[in-house]
Amino acid sequence: MVREIENSAGIPVVQIATIVPIMLTVGANRIVPGVAIPHPVGDPSRGAEGDRAVRRELLERALRAIQTPVEEQTIFTS
Amino acid sequence: MRLELHKVSVRNVLWGDETKVERGTLFVNREEMLSVAMKDNRFARAELEFARPGESVRIIPVKDVIEPRCKLSGPGEVFPGFVGGMQTVGEGTTLVLDGAAVVTCGPIVAFQEGLIDMSGPAADYSPFSQTNNVVLVVEPVEGLDQHSYEAALREAGFRLGWYLADKCRDSKADEVKVYEMGGPVEESAKYPHLPKIAYFCMSITQGLLHDTFLYGADMKHLVPTLIHPNEKMDGAMVSGNCVSSCDKNTTWHHLNDPIVEELYSRHGKELVFLGVIPTLEDTRLAGKERTSWFNANLARMLGADGVVVSEEGYGNPDTDLCMNAAKCEKLGIRTVIISDEAAGTDGKSQGLADAAPEITAFVSAGNVNEMVELPVMDRILGYDSSISNLSGGAEESLRKDGSMFVELQAIIGSTNELGFSRIGARWI
Repeated sequence: MVREIENSAGIPVVQIATIVPIMLTVGANRIVPGVAIPHPVGDPSRGAEGDRAVRRELLERALRAIQTPVEEQTIFTS
Repeated sequence: MRLELHKVSVRNVLWGDETKVERGTLFVNREEMLSVAMKDNRFARAELEFARPGESVRIIPVKDVIEPRCKLSGPGEVFPGFVGGMQTVGEGTTLVLDGAAVVTCGPIVAFQEGLIDMSGPAADYSPFSQTNNVVLVVEPVEGLDQHSYEAALREAGFRLGWYLADKCRDSKADEVKVYEMGGPVEESAKYPHLPKIAYFCMSITQGLLHDTFLYGADMKHLVPTLIHPNEKMDGAMVSGNCVSSCDKNTTWHHLNDPIVEELYSRHGKELVFLGVIPTLEDTRLAGKERTSWFNANLARMLGADGVVVSEEGYGNPDTDLCMNAAKCEKLGIRTVIISDEAAGTDGKSQGLADAAPEITAFVSAGNVNEMVELPVMDRILGYDSSISNLSGGAEESLRKDGSMFVELQAIIGSTNELGFSRIGARWI
């Protein structure tokens, strides 16, 4: 889906998911590593406030990634 | 380490006044066994039923299958950490009711449970259509949370498996199988010219009712370790899984692990069997990296020339599988992986979610998405409406007449990745 949206519609996509190797295998171009499979975009083990901070940081990182021109598959770790 | 399995053959199961085996028939005292099941205040009700090979019976939803075993001698008790105390197992003698099984069933615990048909087309896909099953159907007390319910049903299975074997402990074995092997240092010295092979037994350890236990310890909190193959036969590893039924390793599978059996039979002749490494499938990428490094390093320290890697489940564990193989191969340790495939109903999609160029030997256990037609059965044990919530099933799977059209993954053990099934795949 990530590739198809980029190829067919020309809309850049950033994928947030936990298992980076799978994203590399399937061909995602902008990759933001998620937290864990049951909760990729948050971390409930850090309590409500901590969870919220993790969510915000991931979202902002994804928004930065989507605006960044890339030439090859790129993992945004910060 | 020497373990004798005293196998008492069971070819039929009937109710009786006393729980015992007589000339191949397992008699079960229903009241007594029920009282063992109900030794848990988390059950509101429990029933026991039989399901025999060839009968028109469907069991749904199945949580676990347990082969009845108990220790006759030697340290510890089977299913350590649950039934017995806390002592290492795998030595002495163990009684096995060969051909009998306890099947645990109840209103759905989690969405990835499955079914067993005792006859018809689905019977060919599950080893448990060939066993004489004592089926425990429970109803949890109202308001019981899912995790407690899973634990209650899991523990009941072990308790009943032990109970049946214990009541038959005076029976004469029809077959005695001896499993004797030292540790990796001793055995490697004995056969210096044979290739040394370890076995990674990958297990679902992902929480949310997807867990495996080693000596009672929840494996998701452990790092990979080494056990003697005999320990597996005494129930050191047990299932706490509600994972996709086609490729979950039930407790029965762990007890009868065909990879252990095959490596054992070749030990000292074609290879040196170094031991079993029970390993994890973590939910975090860092956990997958840590686990696979531990595995590769353990294999290297054991002096392994090769490793057999089996998977449990599919999807994200495919990454663990790739990492385990790739890291070993990079260290010069040859690997073969055993996995099923989620290749779509037409079989045309990519089989694994991940890939690694280092993987050069892959044994496929079949396509979980293959569709199968299941005819009406005369008797349903459990709750057939639960098919709409099972992996491989959908709301429209159960037709008005009671027949079903489901993916192979709804059938327990159909694409088992220890290779305990009748199907496979080959390149064409």
